[in-house]
Amino acid sequence: MTSRTRPVDRLLKAWTAAVLLFLYAPIAVLVAYSFNASRLNILWRGFTLRWYAEIWHNTKLVRAACNSLEIAAAATAASIVLGTTGAWLLHRYRFRGSAAIKTLVAIPMVMPEVLMGISLLVFFTAIRFSLGFTTVIVGHVTFCIPFVMSAVQARLDGIDPSLEEAALDLGATPVRAFWHIILPFLRPAIVAGGLMAFTLSLDELIVTFFTASSASRTLPLEVFGMAKIGLNPELNALSAIIVMTAAGIQVALNQMRKDAR
Amino acid sequence: MNMRLPVVLLALASSLPALQAREGLNLFAWSEYVPQKVLDGFTAETGIEVNYETFSSNEEMVSKLVAGDGDYDVIQPSDYTAEALIKQGLLAPLDLAALHNLGNIDPAYRHLPYDPEDRYTVPYMSGTVGIVVNTAVVHTRIRSFGDVFQPRFSGRIVVLNDNREIVSWALAYLGLPTNEINAKSLAAARPVITRWLKYVKVFDSDSPKTPLLNGDVDIGVVWSGEAAILWNQDHKFRYILPSESVHRFIDLLAVPVGSRHRAAAHRFIDYVLRPEVSKLISDEFPYTNPNGAARRLLSPAQLANPASYPKGGNLETFRDVGRAASDIDQLMTDIKSAQ
Amino acid sequence: MSGRGQRPGAGAWLLLFPLLLWSLAFIVAPTAILVVYAFCQRDEIGRVVFSFTLENFQRVLDPVFLRIFGRSTAYAALTTAICLLAGFPAAWHIARSQPRTRNRLIMLVMIPFWTSFLIRTYAWMTILKQGGLLNGLLSYLGVIGSPVEFLYTPGAVILGLVYAYLPFMILPIYASAEKVDQALIEAAHDLGAGPLRVFTTVIIPLTRPGIAAGILLVFVPAVGMFAVTDLMGGARVMLIGNVIENQFLAARNWPFGAALGVAFLGMFAVVYALLARRAKAA
Repeated sequence: MTSRTRPVDRLLKAWTAAVLLFLYAPIAVLVAYSFNASRLNILWRGFTLRWYAEIWHNTKLVRAACNSLEIAAAATAASIVLGTTGAWLLHRYRFRGSAAIKTLVAIPMVMPEVLMGISLLVFFTAIRFSLGFTTVIVGHVTFCIPFVMSAVQARLDGIDPSLEEAALDLGATPVRAFWHIILPFLRPAIVAGGLMAFTLSLDELIVTFFTASSASRTLPLEVFGMAKIGLNPELNALSAIIVMTAAGIQVALNQMRKDAR
Repeated sequence: MNMRLPVVLLALASSLPALQAREGLNLFAWSEYVPQKVLDGFTAETGIEVNYETFSSNEEMVSKLVAGDGDYDVIQPSDYTAEALIKQGLLAPLDLAALHNLGNIDPAYRHLPYDPEDRYTVPYMSGTVGIVVNTAVVHTRIRSFGDVFQPRFSGRIVVLNDNREIVSWALAYLGLPTNEINAKSLAAARPVITRWLKYVKVFDSDSPKTPLLNGDVDIGVVWSGEAAILWNQDHKFRYILPSESVHRFIDLLAVPVGSRHRAAAHRFIDYVLRPEVSKLISDEFPYTNPNGAARRLLSPAQLANPASYPKGGNLETFRDVGRAASDIDQLMTDIKSAQ
Repeated sequence: MSGRGQRPGAGAWLLLFPLLLWSLAFIVAPTAILVVYAFCQRDEIGRVVFSFTLENFQRVLDPVFLRIFGRSTAYAALTTAICLLAGFPAAWHIARSQPRTRNRLIMLVMIPFWTSFLIRTYAWMTILKQGGLLNGLLSYLGVIGSPVEFLYTPGAVILGLVYAYLPFMILPIYASAEKVDQALIEAAHDLGAGPLRVFTTVIIPLTRPGIAAGILLVFVPAVGMFAVTDLMGGARVMLIGNVIENQFLAARNWPFGAALGVAFLGMFAVVYALLARRAKAA
């Protein structure tokens, strides 16, 4: 269906462009400064590609970036699974104490990071579980679940009950109906929730500090330490690479989909 | 959809940990304070891997140390934090016979109040807290805390976001001992701090150099290491030791009681005490090197940086204040939230 | 009747079990630890000493902390309002685009946040500082004569908060707006409704769950936020997040930090449960 282009639509388009401009303003600055010859990142001292070359020798930074991506991927996957099934079950069935369950799962969203970090550390120590990747991922999944759940719940609210009924009437089992009807319907919410989870995990500092070992150090931990001696342009270069790679993958995926058609 | 599942499982599987027994040496130190060259050199010589885990404040380190099982072999507390850890029995006495290079430490850094017999700690690097002035903007002579916190600098001042520091400056300004924190001294400090904080534009402990470099403020009270970086960037940033009293901090190396690799810990400490190794630290981080033998290897330019090697000053280290830390916090919370 | 509100069978409980187990282990257990801490005393370096006291909760009632809590809430509320106003039109536009553009746009909204918040905030500081890009641009355009102080002001704090949370408003609204049937809107137009009327009578009711989720996901984390606000505002104001963190990382008073946290969590849980009950009744 093609909709008529009304002035409102043009206004909305301009507004969205302005929002994106706002979101990318600091990104543009950091990309520009990643070519700055000055080590202190504050005054412009000429163009250089030096920092991009130096990243590859900074094994600490590259390893932390890889750790961050791995942890974020695992945390996102787990919180999508737990959050989506949770939201759907709580929506579909009248569980005893469902309000309590919902509140419980939402608590990490309010829990100040330092409290969550220390209490998880005390807990892991009490059960004699040594710190590493698992402990960091557990922490991240715990605060990511409410974000996935909220997005999915919002889409489920007001879902047409006939959608699932129709499938059930056609003889599908509830699980099959979930897999073939509900899940595709939830896809935009799962994407939205998953993106939020991935982003939160990638950027978390304090819970990570308390649950990480030297082997599972993440990028934010490195970055925060570096601020002390002056945020160095390598960090800008690394951020630029991350943003451009992500955007590049996005374009490539679009292209592949177009070709497949 | 079906294609997604294997990817998800793979992502999960790849990040499951091998239940790693942590071998080698577990170092828990300030971030950006131990050069990679030092760690690599130690590993090349001894074959001992160093697991370098970092923190960005003493309190962060203590929290993680006491809340967890503390699987660390060498930690890097500052003077007053070491004193607290010693009081709590959390540091292991050092085997001084295994530290052959201890003699390299300048006598001015031996037998200090936080560890009078040098039984638990070895100095790593040291620094001061002083005044930094952008002389391109500020032309009057600044000598003391009293000169900094003036109405004419209102909105042009950066200070460390550290409550203990700020209280100690006020006490020094009043001529009171900076290490005696009690109801009476805090009550005396309150009006001074209340007046001072009105003039402050930025509180920042992590990178107070940033607003100075950006030109958002002209004067500040900062760590000497920050001032040294500013001086290296532009000589218009002058570092001045306040005439009232100067906080000298000493970051130390120590072995916590929970350490499982004590021999390796001593080897590491001894390695760091070597002059040529200690020089590497000075090359990367412009603090004051307490290692006299290492200092003789430094370049004239390094020694000429007035923030790294300031002259004179009435130097004092912090002592542990124990529970009074909470009273300091309460006072500063009151003052800050009333403004 | 199938669909909503069915009593769960064993299978449903089994499916919910992982989430319940997860919550018990990693939410209930750590929270229980905090509750215990909140009734304890402390030793010289701030650790918990297991000896019962109510002192920590008595201190929580100090007006200073109420004031700080009020200020944190006000900042979060303003941030949420701006995010909603700025984010809703964008989310709606994205949800109404072609499916392919839609995915690309939603990714574009999130990608900037895959850099570290510290790096992003320093980039903002480069823009806002006295000799910065914004002042340069404005004086080049002749809008201002002398540099304006943007950084280290309440405005900068709000800007930092809005920037940090805007995507968390856009994404849930998008997810909920995407299912709104275009035919409904066309029908409303065909019946002669103006854009404003369509917006208030069709669009808002249909995206209400997304709006509610967006408000929740922005407001709740924003109340406890302090890292960005400290950098952009110069750390002159205390927020509830600062106060709680300081108890652990400066004041050496874990039990009081725990008590503040428990009070904070308790308040949230009560409000949240009430809202959940009301939503259920509606």
